[in-house]
Amino acid sequence: MAKFISLLFIPQEKNNHRALLLQPSFLGIFIALYLLNQSIIQSLTVLKPGVLGYSSEITVSKVLSQTNNEREKLGLSDLKYNDTLSQSAAAKAQDMFANNYWAHNSPQGKTPWDFFKSAGYQYSIAGENLAKDFYDTDGLIKAWMNSPTHRDNIVNTKYQEIGIAVVNGVLNGVKTTLVVQHFAAPLNAPAIAKTQPVAPNPEVVTAPELNTSTQSLGAASAVTPSLISPLLISKIIGSLIFALIITVLTIDSYITLTNHTPRLTGSSASHIGFLLIILMLLIFGRGGAIF
Amino acid sequence: MVIFNEIKKHPLNYLILGVIFIAAIISFFFFRQSFDTHDQRRVVYVTAALYLFWSLYHHYRRGDLQFSIIIEYLLLALFAVLVAVTTLI
Repeated sequence: MAKFISLLFIPQEKNNHRALLLQPSFLGIFIALYLLNQSIIQSLTVLKPGVLGYSSEITVSKVLSQTNNEREKLGLSDLKYNDTLSQSAAAKAQDMFANNYWAHNSPQGKTPWDFFKSAGYQYSIAGENLAKDFYDTDGLIKAWMNSPTHRDNIVNTKYQEIGIAVVNGVLNGVKTTLVVQHFAAPLNAPAIAKTQPVAPNPEVVTAPELNTSTQSLGAASAVTPSLISPLLISKIIGSLIFALIITVLTIDSYITLTNHTPRLTGSSASHIGFLLIILMLLIFGRGGAIF
Repeated sequence: MVIFNEIKKHPLNYLILGVIFIAAIISFFFFRQSFDTHDQRRVVYVTAALYLFWSLYHHYRRGDLQFSIIIEYLLLALFAVLVAVTTLI
């Protein structure tokens, strides 16, 4: 057993001076194991949609306060939370889960404005921001602010009210969190004086009383909310395999370079560099999508 | 250090590799700012492809380009792309 482990990690004559774990056959095994893990995760997500799922710490009150923080930075007045607009946003999220789509217009031809009207909100101007798969509110708001069209909605001087829905459900077989913002100015409302912006003062900003709990829709609603994301599991397993290969490559290159062992293999140093770069991209990669 | 001797023997090869890695890091963090997971994934695809091309060039110049070496690089690049596809969603 000890000999086999030594063959796995240490280059020597018996393994042709290349650690077994670095030989193409074992690299193939790593790929096969990773694919197996992926198929198990996918099967669990589809067959038992409460076992694995996406969890986020996003709440309605956080989205509201951070949206208004962004407006305050530009000296704009806060958006008032409106229950009817939130019902409209929640209906939109529910419709996306029910009809399994991710877009402003539904496959049945429903536009965002249809949801405003169904909720009973009469608007003079309105807008919609969508997001999914974000873990925290900071990342979500940053993503919207980095997109010119979404940013235009958040800092639009014509909007006076906002409705927000943060809803968990199953979209395309994967449990996810959808965030919908509905912006509007009510019909016949007095226009906001653009020349009198509210001075930025985060200390005096108070969020209205909100129902901050996240709603759950779709197949996942009947089960206990899960806290393990399938993406996180894949990321951890992928990173662990990368870390293992990097460790073995380091041992392998140290031994063969110090012993000046001649052999026909790839460059261990460049492999280490490549895998470290990919590992870093995996660790720092940011998920989430906006629309 | 033997690794530095190797770099001294093929400075251009390792310079190209360094440029590929630095370009990958810069472009990834650029796309990370905009939360564009599609472009973050594309950075991994392009880096893996460039790494494969680099390996062909490097081992051809060294005169030890063998099928088993190509397979080794191909499997590593494939694994990197596979993990990126499944985690950067």
